[in-house]
Amino acid sequence: MTRYIASRIGQALFVLWVAFTVAFLLLQALPGDAVLIKFQSPDLGLSPEQIADLREAYGVDSPLWQQYLQALGNFLTGQFGYSVVGSVPVAQELLANLPATARLAGAGFVVAAILAFALAFLATLAPFRWLRGAIQSIPALFVSVPVFWLGIMLIQIFSFRLKWISVINPGEIEGLILPVLTLAIPISAPLAQILMRNIDEASTQGYVAVARAKGASPSWVLWKHIAKNALLPTLTIAGILFGELLAGAVITETVFGLNGIGGLTERSVRFQDTSVIQAIVVFSAAAFVTVNLIIDLLYPVFDPRLRKAKGVFA
Amino acid sequence: MQFREAALARSIISFDRRTALKGLAGALLAGISMSPALAQDAPVTGGTLIYLEQQAHTNLYPPAGGFYPNGGVLNQITDKLTYQNPQTLEIEPWLAESWEVNDTATEYTFKLRPGVTFSDGTPLDAKVVALNYDTFGLGNKELKYPVSEVINNYERSEVIDELTVKFYFKAPSPGFLQGTSVIGSGIVSASTLAQPYDALGDATKIIGTGAFVVESETLGKELNLKARTDYNWAPAKFEHQGRPYLDAIKYIITPEDSVRIGALLAGQADVIRQIQAYDEPQVIDAGYSIYAPSTRGINDAISFRPANPLVADLKVRQALLHATNRQEIVDTLFSSNYPLATSILSSQAAGYVDLSSKLVYDQEKAKALFAEAGWTPGTDGILEKDGQKLDLTVYVSLPQPQNEAVLQLLAQQWAQVGVKLNVLAGDAGSRTLDLLDPIKTPVNVTMVGRADPDVIKSGYHPKNRDWLLQKGGSSDKTDFVDDKLNGLLEALAAETDRTKRLAIAADIQNYVVDQVYTIPFFEEPQAFATAPYVQGLEFEAVGRPSFYNVWLEAH
Repeated sequence: MTRYIASRIGQALFVLWVAFTVAFLLLQALPGDAVLIKFQSPDLGLSPEQIADLREAYGVDSPLWQQYLQALGNFLTGQFGYSVVGSVPVAQELLANLPATARLAGAGFVVAAILAFALAFLATLAPFRWLRGAIQSIPALFVSVPVFWLGIMLIQIFSFRLKWISVINPGEIEGLILPVLTLAIPISAPLAQILMRNIDEASTQGYVAVARAKGASPSWVLWKHIAKNALLPTLTIAGILFGELLAGAVITETVFGLNGIGGLTERSVRFQDTSVIQAIVVFSAAAFVTVNLIIDLLYPVFDPRLRKAKGVFA
Repeated sequence: MQFREAALARSIISFDRRTALKGLAGALLAGISMSPALAQDAPVTGGTLIYLEQQAHTNLYPPAGGFYPNGGVLNQITDKLTYQNPQTLEIEPWLAESWEVNDTATEYTFKLRPGVTFSDGTPLDAKVVALNYDTFGLGNKELKYPVSEVINNYERSEVIDELTVKFYFKAPSPGFLQGTSVIGSGIVSASTLAQPYDALGDATKIIGTGAFVVESETLGKELNLKARTDYNWAPAKFEHQGRPYLDAIKYIITPEDSVRIGALLAGQADVIRQIQAYDEPQVIDAGYSIYAPSTRGINDAISFRPANPLVADLKVRQALLHATNRQEIVDTLFSSNYPLATSILSSQAAGYVDLSSKLVYDQEKAKALFAEAGWTPGTDGILEKDGQKLDLTVYVSLPQPQNEAVLQLLAQQWAQVGVKLNVLAGDAGSRTLDLLDPIKTPVNVTMVGRADPDVIKSGYHPKNRDWLLQKGGSSDKTDFVDDKLNGLLEALAAETDRTKRLAIAADIQNYVVDQVYTIPFFEEPQAFATAPYVQGLEFEAVGRPSFYNVWLEAH
């Protein structure tokens, strides 16, 4: 067990280093750089000499390997530098945005999972064939709704028309309701689809027929026999969807005027704010790796066969 | 529709009348003394104003106040040495009680108002003012502070006594007095200027003497300002003195246009910035007000880079000017808050001359000029000369209102005479680099706001914004230079006699239009919308909001 986890952590560190390096190289390959974009901006109206002085002060024209080693060294010693666009330390910017995104993404994920389970179970248990068919087609609808449109519609209806929820200056929980829904609805769709398909598949298995023959009720069969087996592939997808969650957060944050990693990433990429992007890439990679590690460790909990195979979890 | 237009006109008239009254009376309360309908309304103290801003502020070093979101914050938390009356454009006392300028405009002495303190309790004295201007005028390489655009030829400061400070210039700098009044010249404390430049995006680090103080901020989301109850140094000619009426202002970043407007109309916000012309009717129909103060500088326009052979010929540029239906652009895309430009300068700017007779739309003339210059239509209808097609590229400028739509419409108009205009969005990096290369971008969107003739030099001089991309300026890919223009710009910046200075400004406007270096479209406003109970909203000379006189009627 310890060796397994140690090797997984080793892999994770390697992934982080690769993410850091690839991000660095990609950013360098883009035309221009943050200092150029910022100080060449007409808002400041600087002369060419003044811009040249600033470029020198920021060291943006030094050789690539030198910049890379410096960036890596700073990173390893926990110095993330300053955001060129935001003009605050990167650490401060991350601290301001990470918790907000974690809240939004976390709540979004939980709600998406609840929605997906509700849909999948309803699609199996609903009384009429036409109703089950209708419920089964809901994920297709959910996944095709553009996030920005959904967000604006929810705001228009629930905030501006019905005035139930305030978007501007809302309470802590109040402010999460609409953004979480906006984020959760499209994310729930693939989860629900996978779950439905697996439930269908599991339903055709012999042990289900046996359980039914013994006189178990449909909900008992679904919960005790089918769901457990249908869950595993869904978990895998859930891990992958985590990345999508961060992507969906960009639009949700913009529409609702929330601060967060999504908006910060978008801004930093637009202005090539290298130090911020590198920090975000590494943090996101770390989060992604951690979530997937947790999911790997969860497999045996849900599937006794894996427990036996590894032998260590028994 | 007719009703809508009537309502629009009404709202604008009422706004104009109010501003005019304010100007007449010199009173800065929303026209209350002279308008019977409003006469009973005495300003109410208290309340929090919810202000929706489209973008988060960035660096709050005062000279970076040109970016509208920054200016909107800095204007509340910092004061300037002088105040430029937005109606008369006269320079009036503020933190400086009085000043003296020598004949050659190379020495300025300011006598500071006593009793002014920063929000951290330290006094405003000659020493800190000198430090501010040394930083603005010379930059600070160690802490990476860039110099301020509005301060030319700065040499040094001298502290005469505790409340008297003197500035020396290497060459005449007649624009400096106005430069002390602009958004980029807000005075901040010594502790602020001890921070590295890269840390000034944190609003809580900006300590000013303003009527409001930064209380807290969530980066990228909201900023809370609270009133300074001991504030007692508003510009001397203000009728309202003492603390601001509001208790607090909450800035909330709301990037989405429809959410800002919806929130305003649903009663969740009091003032919003950035409202597009096409959204104005729904705001006005609901009984809300639009404010569109002029930015009073160089108009929203395109400028040419004559180093590009395609636009090097004056006849081609003249033809492009006459192929441009500016009226159609304004009528199609904008409202009466966006007046048609009649010069490169705003009609509300000092030194403006009306050049509308030179800026006419005449497609036939355009075609004739192209023919004269040797351009003939090719098989695809696009003009050709020596195998070269008249195929031009321009980048969209995001801060300019509906700029992409403006350029697309322009492309359609130019297509009618056989000119291809490619309108690009592009990422910030490619855009910045391409704009330094006249071959890649023969045309560029230009605009800058400042209520002093120096603004023309800011725009065109190769050592400033270098709009025409001249040799010796920001680009190393150009050999174009116009010594006559540069001479005029330098003369403008150095002329100390006001009448002569304005005459030079007129010469430059004529010259730029005659040379068709720039095709101006409209006078760019900053557009705001407010709820009906918001009173006393004012703007500094280039359209940044001031909340000092704002009060909230019972509602």
